[in-house]
Amino acid sequence: MLLQQILNGTVSGAIYALFALGFTLIFGVQKLLNLAHGAIFMAGAFIAYYATAQGLPFWFALLLATIATGTISVVVDFVAFRQLRKAGHAEFAAIVTSIGVDLILMNIAQQVSNTKVLSFPFGTFPVKFFSFWGMRISLLQLTILGLVLFLVLALAYYINRTSFGRQVRAVSSNEHASALLGVSASAVYRQTFFIAGALAGLAGVLIGLSFNSIHFMMGEPFLLQAFVVVVIGGLGSLQGAVVAAILIGIVQSLTIAYLSSELSTAIIFALLFVTLLFFPNGLFGRASNYAGGSRR
Amino acid sequence: MMSFYYSYQPLIDFFLIAVGLGYSQQLALRAGVFSIATAGFSALGAYATAILVTRYGAPVPLAILVSAVVGMAVSYVLSVPLARLRGAFQAIATLAFVQVVIALLLYFEGFTGGAIGISGIPRVMNTGWLLLAVLVTIYVIWSINRTSVGRVFNALRQDDSVAASLGVPIKSYYALAFVLSGLIGAVFGALRSLYVFNIEPVDFGFHAMVASLTVVVLGGRNTLLGPIAGALIMAILPELARPLAENRGILNGVILILVITFLPNGVGDELVYWLRRRLRRTPKTMSKREEGTDVVAAD
Repeated sequence: MLLQQILNGTVSGAIYALFALGFTLIFGVQKLLNLAHGAIFMAGAFIAYYATAQGLPFWFALLLATIATGTISVVVDFVAFRQLRKAGHAEFAAIVTSIGVDLILMNIAQQVSNTKVLSFPFGTFPVKFFSFWGMRISLLQLTILGLVLFLVLALAYYINRTSFGRQVRAVSSNEHASALLGVSASAVYRQTFFIAGALAGLAGVLIGLSFNSIHFMMGEPFLLQAFVVVVIGGLGSLQGAVVAAILIGIVQSLTIAYLSSELSTAIIFALLFVTLLFFPNGLFGRASNYAGGSRR
Repeated sequence: MMSFYYSYQPLIDFFLIAVGLGYSQQLALRAGVFSIATAGFSALGAYATAILVTRYGAPVPLAILVSAVVGMAVSYVLSVPLARLRGAFQAIATLAFVQVVIALLLYFEGFTGGAIGISGIPRVMNTGWLLLAVLVTIYVIWSINRTSVGRVFNALRQDDSVAASLGVPIKSYYALAFVLSGLIGAVFGALRSLYVFNIEPVDFGFHAMVASLTVVVLGGRNTLLGPIAGALIMAILPELARPLAENRGILNGVILILVITFLPNGVGDELVYWLRRRLRRTPKTMSKREEGTDVVAAD
């Protein structure tokens, strides 16, 4: 029972990690809170749903949703953030413009779905269970774990080992200096937004599939969770985000199983508060991103 | 005039409540505290008043007073950890505070009514009382602005290390701004609960947080006109968008993006700055240099 809960928590934590990775990437590179990230996540689930409803195979719908949400995310950057970056004082303003984008996307989704709760038709993904050591794991859960592991490793390779990744890290530490060295900051922003959006869209499809419910407000709880992941994991730290997301998934499934679901929210956000107090850098944050440091 | 008032009365009342919560939000922001805790304070104020009035039959003024004290006490306690954080981290910490408040309201069902909330709260508020509360709030903030406290708040927002080097005890002033924000938030939460008959935790969630932040960022973070302008836009926008029916959200979103992109200081602040530039130009002694600098700015 306990092991089963931990396993379930790990799987949902892995999906949170996909969502939070994009969020922390944007936060790490731009120091902006992108409140439209939840709506992009929702858009991923919607696109995959309507693609499978058109009779397209599921793997193709997944791919389509990933690319489409990446593109939407780049458009969001273009519409909501680019002007603010030029003007300078983006910290407050970005919150409002991303809320604006959130409203627009949610409104479209509400219209398209007639405010109904959608779910993928039964058998979209083969239902199969494996048992070992008294635990049960579905083929879907296994696939999710494998996919997330692959994507996290690919992202880590991209950020740490490639020339593009070096540019991303350069812009995140100092935009002007990297511009002087010939790095195009706007290209870096486009890339980070595409990757963040694609990961969010993929997470949306996986969540829609494993919880079997897709609706226009599904992004909001995940957005709130992403705040917790970003803080506990440490700002801009990708491996921290993954560890924190899985930790939160496990804490959540244990508290829901043994205590109550309301208390689970309270515990998670209390955890966030305590982390901010005692480890303002998060568990894996670097000192350069110190939360108590001077304002920009 | 009277028929306009009667047909739009609820709109006006909610506008006044939004203005009050907007001032709570603005006080924190203009002192450089990136707090979004106003929704949490208003939840505490609303529940304190509602529980006292419905369960214990407490007189309304006493209930509001208790709400105010609760708001101040909680915000003071919260200001201690908050002073150690900066910028977006303060926003996330206060967001966590609001989420914890809501989760606890849901959990202690016997005391708070859980998800159903508290109903049957007597409606003692009307437009007159709400207007009075807003006017008192404006007067208080206006008085603060005229003293050194207001100048310290501005200094903290612009650069807290300079303020510290000039001998300002910055932690106490951060705490002061935050406690005032908590006080105003809790009082307007209490007034709201005495207006809407029933309250439930959802009323104070993510949407309430976003709403009060939007009012201030749209209206302006620094001037007294800010929250009024922001709340006015947020009140009128749904009415203007009514012909669009279900597509209202799209128009709201587009307007939020456009306003912030082209008037980044907020509508109210930009208006006040523009008027100040105008007024400075008119006086009789206008030297060449002043004219030169101001013409560009004002036109």
